[in-house]
Amino acid sequence: MRSSTSYNLWLIAPAALMVGLFFLYPLFFSLYSAITTDEGGLTLAHLEKAFELYSNDILFTIIIVLASVVLLAILSISIAALITLSPFRSIVSLLGFIYRIPLFIPFIVTAQMMRTFLAKNGLMNNAFIASGMLTPLETVSFLGWSGIIIVFVWKQLAFCTLLITGAMAALDESQIRAARNLGASRLRILFQIMLPQITPTIGVAMILSTVTIMSVLSVPLMIGTGTPTMIATDMAFRINSYGDYHVANALGLVSYLICAGLAWFYLRQSLKDKGAI
Amino acid sequence: MLTKTKIIALASIGLTQFSGYVHADTRLNVVSAGGQNMVDYVKTYLAPKFEASHPGVKVNIVGTGPGDAGSHKILEKLSAQKNSGLENWDVDVAVVHQKIGGEMVTDGLLAKYRSDIKTGTLVTRDSAENALGVNVNGYVMPMFHSQTAIAYNSDFIKTPPKSYDELVKWTQDNPKAFGYNGIKNGMSGVSFVTGWIYAYGTEAATLSSTPYNKDIATSWDKAFSELKAFNKNITFTPGNAGTLDMLNRGEIFMGPVWVDMFYSWKDQGKIPPSMKLSLIAPGMPGQPMYYVTPAKAENAQLAREFIEMATSPDVQAEGIVKRFNWYPGIDAQHVQGNLDKATWAKLFAEITPSDLSQYGKSFPIAPYFDDIKEGYERKVSN
Repeated sequence: MRSSTSYNLWLIAPAALMVGLFFLYPLFFSLYSAITTDEGGLTLAHLEKAFELYSNDILFTIIIVLASVVLLAILSISIAALITLSPFRSIVSLLGFIYRIPLFIPFIVTAQMMRTFLAKNGLMNNAFIASGMLTPLETVSFLGWSGIIIVFVWKQLAFCTLLITGAMAALDESQIRAARNLGASRLRILFQIMLPQITPTIGVAMILSTVTIMSVLSVPLMIGTGTPTMIATDMAFRINSYGDYHVANALGLVSYLICAGLAWFYLRQSLKDKGAI
Repeated sequence: MLTKTKIIALASIGLTQFSGYVHADTRLNVVSAGGQNMVDYVKTYLAPKFEASHPGVKVNIVGTGPGDAGSHKILEKLSAQKNSGLENWDVDVAVVHQKIGGEMVTDGLLAKYRSDIKTGTLVTRDSAENALGVNVNGYVMPMFHSQTAIAYNSDFIKTPPKSYDELVKWTQDNPKAFGYNGIKNGMSGVSFVTGWIYAYGTEAATLSSTPYNKDIATSWDKAFSELKAFNKNITFTPGNAGTLDMLNRGEIFMGPVWVDMFYSWKDQGKIPPSMKLSLIAPGMPGQPMYYVTPAKAENAQLAREFIEMATSPDVQAEGIVKRFNWYPGIDAQHVQGNLDKATWAKLFAEITPSDLSQYGKSFPIAPYFDDIKEGYERKVSN
């Protein structure tokens, strides 16, 4: 019996080593670096500096993330619902193909694409001008916070929709049919039968999107203009410009906390749903 | 008998193959910081030239990315190799920015090689001796010199501003028509802000030389608050290329750019010919890139020969000035003879040599530079 336990330990050793070496060690090292001086003493100076210089950017990041996630939830649920419930099958299968395209386009390509599309004299505004809907003086540049949100939503929409469509397709068909037989409208089926059953999946999709959005550097660099900007840009700037890993790690700690806050909120919610709290 | 001949024939063919490998096995590792254009310069221009004159040597070029960050990676790699006590470091030639070049000399990572190469005497300018307060005499050869200036659309602006004061006035009359990229999205914006401090904070000469005086930075509050007010009248752009992009699309009419990028874009037709440059008083910073060779480079002699070739007058003329529109790294008079008049005139058409010597400044020494950037973050963008 004992020997089989040690065998099992050996079995997980390579994977555990990988996780420890390439994930846990860097994670704890960066947390450690955020709250210590070069000499190794504990300090809050880095965190203070991070808040002093970048509190606006932290707030900006939270707003961008929340706005993107809310838009993502609304859009991806609508598309998933259309795909699952719509009676027009051929149009829906076309939609099912189109919404997946952003999955295969990297963030940096999306950002570059949107930069030429959303600029003041970019493709979108030029199209409006050519079609007579706007005059050149009325055009507005979307490069800035709105552009950042557009890019994040555009890119993450495919991923979220994929997860949510999958969850919807896995629901028990008989419930939907039963509801329909009793005369429920499609909207009612969506809100009262389907959504309550797939909230965990929606939560997962939103949290994964949040983490992705927090970590993307190329989009705020290419679409955002100056200040305020997102935390990732500030971290890169601290390292590239000052070689200052401490404050960069302090900012990293702040992003962990934001993600952890959302994750906590979600876990609490899902436990509550299961009646644990 | 027949089999024996066959074996011998095969073996000799095999040997020739092998000896070929042995020959090509000398690899000269060139590591370059800076944008893709710098990597391309070494890869497409210098490396084939060097391989042709040195049979059996293969130049292996690695780019580490733009800005001081790219140079910083080279510094980190070399100091790691030094600290681990390696005998041979796997970087033979490095191309680094001015600030990091100075740090490398301070950390004892570089070889003092300038007196070993023939072209060493062709450089007399200050930036080959002094890298933002660090004495680098003998350790570096400038590859090229780069400069920032204000680009403007001459179709709309007949009399461009000649100084920061005039520029401020111009932005008040033409709100949102001037654009720059802040300090987090590329060096042209950093350079503009540095020039602002030279104009309204402390003069360039003080900030570009040691010793560092901590109290100077505290006197910049007024300059920063004026910059904050200035920022309300302008458009922010997304990066060095972003400024040029917006100039091209007519979204802004004026903005700070790198001179070499500006000329390259103009050559490729990516910005209209009506774009012109103006170097405004009291001056904007520029910087050299340095060729350096580490103290324990594996191929020390080859590295010296490589740098000698790269800083020879004809390579500087053809490669640096003509192909890439950079200002030459070695003294200009040595390069002028190797260039046709038109190319020479183009390089100095909009910014005259006298403007350049009068208003082309260095970046400040590292601690002042950090003060400027952090002051901007604290008082302007916060």
